[in-house]
Amino acid sequence: MSKLAREEKTAFKMVLPYLLIIVLLFVYLIGSNIYSSFTTEEGAFTLQNYSNVFTDPVVGRSMINTVVWVIGSVLGQLLLGLLVALLLNESTKGQIIFRSIILILPWATLDIVAGVMWKWMYNDMYGVLNDVLVKMNIINDYIPWLATENMAMISVIIANIWKGFCLSGMFFLAGLQTIPPDLYEAAEIDGANSIRRFWRITIPQLKPVIMTTLMLTVIWTINYFPLIYIMTGGGPGYGTETVVTYIYKLGFRFLEFNKAAALSNILFVAIFAIAFVFLRSIAKEEAR
Amino acid sequence: MRKSTLLVFMMLVVLAFTGVSQVINIWIGGQVAELDETWEMIVGKFEEETGLKVEVQLFGFDIYYDKLLTALQAGQGPDLAFADLGGWVPTFAEKGWLEPMGALLDSWDGTEQIWPNLWPTVLHNGERYGLPWYTDCRLLLYNQTMFDQAGLDRNDPPATWEELVYQAMKLTDASKRVFGYGVSGTKTEHTTLAYIIFLYGAGGQLLTDDYSAAAFNTPEGLRALKFYTDLALTYAVSPNAVTYNEDDYRNMMAQNRVAMAVGGPWSFPLIETANPDIVGNYSVSLHPYGATPASVLGGWALVIPSASKNKDNAWELAKYLTSYETWMTWIEAKGGPMPSRQDVCFDSPVLQDPKWKVIFETFPHAVSRPPIPEYPQVSEQIQIMIQDVLLGKVTPEEAIKTAEANVNAILAK
Repeated sequence: MSKLAREEKTAFKMVLPYLLIIVLLFVYLIGSNIYSSFTTEEGAFTLQNYSNVFTDPVVGRSMINTVVWVIGSVLGQLLLGLLVALLLNESTKGQIIFRSIILILPWATLDIVAGVMWKWMYNDMYGVLNDVLVKMNIINDYIPWLATENMAMISVIIANIWKGFCLSGMFFLAGLQTIPPDLYEAAEIDGANSIRRFWRITIPQLKPVIMTTLMLTVIWTINYFPLIYIMTGGGPGYGTETVVTYIYKLGFRFLEFNKAAALSNILFVAIFAIAFVFLRSIAKEEAR
Repeated sequence: MRKSTLLVFMMLVVLAFTGVSQVINIWIGGQVAELDETWEMIVGKFEEETGLKVEVQLFGFDIYYDKLLTALQAGQGPDLAFADLGGWVPTFAEKGWLEPMGALLDSWDGTEQIWPNLWPTVLHNGERYGLPWYTDCRLLLYNQTMFDQAGLDRNDPPATWEELVYQAMKLTDASKRVFGYGVSGTKTEHTTLAYIIFLYGAGGQLLTDDYSAAAFNTPEGLRALKFYTDLALTYAVSPNAVTYNEDDYRNMMAQNRVAMAVGGPWSFPLIETANPDIVGNYSVSLHPYGATPASVLGGWALVIPSASKNKDNAWELAKYLTSYETWMTWIEAKGGPMPSRQDVCFDSPVLQDPKWKVIFETFPHAVSRPPIPEYPQVSEQIQIMIQDVLLGKVTPEEAIKTAEANVNAILAK
């Protein structure tokens, strides 16, 4: 610590109050959550909350749903984001700013607004999506998008891809612009076609950005709640019930605070593990 | 150092002031929360008469429950609050968040004017925890223009299930996306409410009289489940049921797409906003029934949180808000919702309209939802039962058996 320069010391002092508040809030909230997950309503120690969670069939179902929801959303967001970033990278500087603003709009749309909007678009009585698809002769009759369990899951994933792909795209675009152009020029002289250039230069150069984006979107998607809540409320049946919508339901609808705390702790551990694996592989990558 | 001392001092001053103030905080949720200036007028009169200060906070329905729940749990709620009659009062009372009101209600002369079937909704372990303020009951809302077009009598809506099927089929033209009756099937409270109307209309009941076990797995309950889901599956008189509920159907009704659906007094301003041309071309009637007339009631009560530091004044305000004079002024200004006081319902000239007459005639048939803390979980099982049948995952017989077992497990805890 003695090696710290004067300015650095000042900087630490300035940050300290905020750091303390954040850490205290975090510690308090996590602590009280852990405490209530191990106690009964009367305050006695118990493991009942956890065993209730593991014997609840809806929890298993919601975990499977969460996996489907995360894989579908993240794959879609990353692939579409990469495509958009590659296209944008071809534009001139001025165009990039202009087009990025348009693209970032879905991300900037309020969750509630996006949820209601998609719900209306999917509507099978007067939804715009069915209308457009029928007029383009892609489908013959209106599709009830949110009316069966599997269709509802696909529909919310599509909405979530729309909501989130632009952010991945922005990350990738930033990454793409750091790749030195002479790499491509050298490869071109060596006779590598565009597909080879993409696989041999773009992807390896972009790998650190891809890993970080992947980690962030996975964690965000697991925790993302408003879209599903607005569009389907977890239904039909338990078709789109994810762990977070179920935690909300347990806590705020059924008033089972302790069981909700237990389930959110389990989710916390899972997310922590995912983040740990990612961070370690990113650190290894950088050390190389 | 001096600056921080000053800051601490200022904070203490602020704390001291908020601690001793005589302001009555009231939280208003539900549909009356939008009527801003009316509250100002009514509360202003109270402040003038008593010299007390009232702080009104209005909340939209969507956020109100979470807001109130969080505040009550943290022990820092308002002094007087609105609570939904759909099970909130006993739920909060069981947690020890509400002040018992039985003795206060006994000492007040307005108590006997409250519609008697409202009391079970505020009861917990034999004690009353709320004063019902406004109420409503579910009815059949129907579009008279569509009745005309289908060659039906616009003043003779269906009274029985047989007539309901017959008329709904005449009104339905699926190729044009026009439907006779809207079956609520979303995973929301609407679906449970609709099933309760059909269940009690078939002569069944949801839970046993002491709320200790499920009572809907009976021939009547099965008949209600089959008939309700058959409206969508067999007779095909409804839009895709699992995606819509009565709120959606009301909007479709405003556009002449759905002819009949569950609705109530709150629907009138909403359907007229959705389509101003519909005024005079829609009406309400007792919902068609299988064996006995039935409806389900809802509404809001005033409750005093036990964390309140101002309980005496809160009760004064509650009495004032529920007084004959206040209600007459309110109805004069707003035309609704339905007062919890019978004398206002029968005396107010505004409420002599034929649509209101139907409501007052139906109201005595209305049952309340089981006033127990487990009700939200019971309700979810009913929603799952109906969705599973509508999705064709299980037969009605299997669905009702599963739901009965799950509800019994919930109530046994």
